[in-house]
Amino acid sequence: MSDTPNAPAESAPRTTPRGAGKSVPIFSIGRVYTIASSTVTQLVRMKTFYFLLAFALVVVAVGNFNIPATPAKELSMIKKVAFGTMDIFAWLFAIVATALLIPKDVEDRTLYTILSKPVRRIEYLLGKLGGVLSVIAISLVAMYAICAVVIFSRESLFVAAEYDSMKASGQYTAAEIEEQLSLIQQQGLRAELGIAVLASFFKASVVAAVTIFLSTFASSSLFTIIVSILLFLIGHAHHMASSFWLDESGNSVVVQMMVKVIKILIPNYQLFSFSEGIVQGEAVVAALVWQMGGLTAGYLVVFLLLSLLVFVDKEF
Amino acid sequence: MKSLFQKVPRLVLAVIGLAVFGLVRAPLEDDLREQLVAANLLLPPPGQGAFEQMSQSALMGTLGGLRSLVATYLTLNAFEHFSTKSWDDLRANYLIITNLEPRDESHWVSVIWHIGINATANMEIDTRLPAFERERRFNEYAFQAIDLAERGIAQLPESFAIRLQLAEVYREKLKDDCATARVYGEIVGLPGAPGYARRFYGYFMARCPGREREAYDYLTALYREGEAQRLPTLIKEIKNLEVKLAIPSPRRIPDGDPDRRPQKSAEKPAKVLPGGIVVP
Repeated sequence: MSDTPNAPAESAPRTTPRGAGKSVPIFSIGRVYTIASSTVTQLVRMKTFYFLLAFALVVVAVGNFNIPATPAKELSMIKKVAFGTMDIFAWLFAIVATALLIPKDVEDRTLYTILSKPVRRIEYLLGKLGGVLSVIAISLVAMYAICAVVIFSRESLFVAAEYDSMKASGQYTAAEIEEQLSLIQQQGLRAELGIAVLASFFKASVVAAVTIFLSTFASSSLFTIIVSILLFLIGHAHHMASSFWLDESGNSVVVQMMVKVIKILIPNYQLFSFSEGIVQGEAVVAALVWQMGGLTAGYLVVFLLLSLLVFVDKEF
Repeated sequence: MKSLFQKVPRLVLAVIGLAVFGLVRAPLEDDLREQLVAANLLLPPPGQGAFEQMSQSALMGTLGGLRSLVATYLTLNAFEHFSTKSWDDLRANYLIITNLEPRDESHWVSVIWHIGINATANMEIDTRLPAFERERRFNEYAFQAIDLAERGIAQLPESFAIRLQLAEVYREKLKDDCATARVYGEIVGLPGAPGYARRFYGYFMARCPGREREAYDYLTALYREGEAQRLPTLIKEIKNLEVKLAIPSPRRIPDGDPDRRPQKSAEKPAKVLPGGIVVP
């Protein structure tokens, strides 16, 4: 019996990846990357990037408004509209895309296929979040590029026109003309605007992390989207509204308690709106940007762990 | 411990985790907020007045983090009021805008320009109103512009742009040379102030009764700085003051009066026919 052809095969170690004895690493970046890239493909197929066309139209339209304003004011308006639209896109996309992904995987039965393989649930959540954040990052970079082209072209036009008119008047010295032009350039394309894009990305990341947490126990995508938007509004308005609310109630203890509970449970999204100052032309403080990056990372880790806590034993 | 972990619903544990995280991050976030506001990167909450004046949608937008977009929308709306010459509506719009973005200098400059220059100019020519009413409103708008400028300066004490616009109101509308000189004087020395503000300070000081001597000393000091400052208006103002103050000839500046410089001969060269036809 020992001469049977099967004997050597049985004694040799099994090399197939699905081998029963094969040890599966606790965590694999490769698996996270695979899920993230498939999430990106999934989102691209949803025609996400068509939004860029609408964005380009908005920016070009605002750039061509014929309003009686100084060049600096016009540039400031273009920037505000462009960066405001980018910010809205980022957080709204973070909510909708994240809220749709897990239920869609359940509906398509893709989730069962994924989880039946040696894929940890944290890897699945991380991959999904990574995919959403990648699409947001790509979109923000593309929108920034569109916005930069419009701002730069308008700035060049304004600078040339201002130079010609000041030179023609003959009343100003070269240094004074230079000063005036620098006022326009201050509202033009600056490297700091990249940090404003980063600020929108930080905000969208936190929103996506909160939404993925909600979607782990929500019964439907609609519920997740509505609750996420409500949380976003509360998290944004909380600081502004609480002083008004406390003032109205005469600093009542009940209101004070409610304000504290909201502050503890709901993320402070308003903190992530520091792009507004950068867009207005304020100088960037690198240390603060790093701190905001750290806070964003903190939110991502904590909300991913909380999501895992709910998702780990969930039966599908 | 493990059994407790299994017995308590996961969602409850998640909420407890959320609360612990909230307790840890709250003081950090308060500190960060203060630093961001101090660095002017984050805007402080808008004044209570802004909330009361805003429409429901603008209020929702502001609370929802679209403060800049709401301010931009209201700016466009203000231009609509400008085109229909609804000055009071325009001012009301800008009161909200400046409450929403008090650190945006361009809003202050715009509202002073609209109310102080455009609205007053409109009162000068709006024949639908009786003369008395036009004059009353002219003054009202001019003083509203001054009030707005003072509020803007209180928010942005180092802003030269707001002061330049205010100086224009005093100069063009109220014809108050002393006040104009005072405002240009405030601009001199502010960070980023345009160089011409120094000359303008002198020009308007020269027209302010009682300050002629001071203006003469100031303008001649500018003149002595070199060629870059010796512009026709500066020379003209010094010449006027030399006459007014009876400065002795040896101490006068050597330049001729720019308005009396000999004009180039109007005679055409002999070989050019009328119509510019050149005879070879």
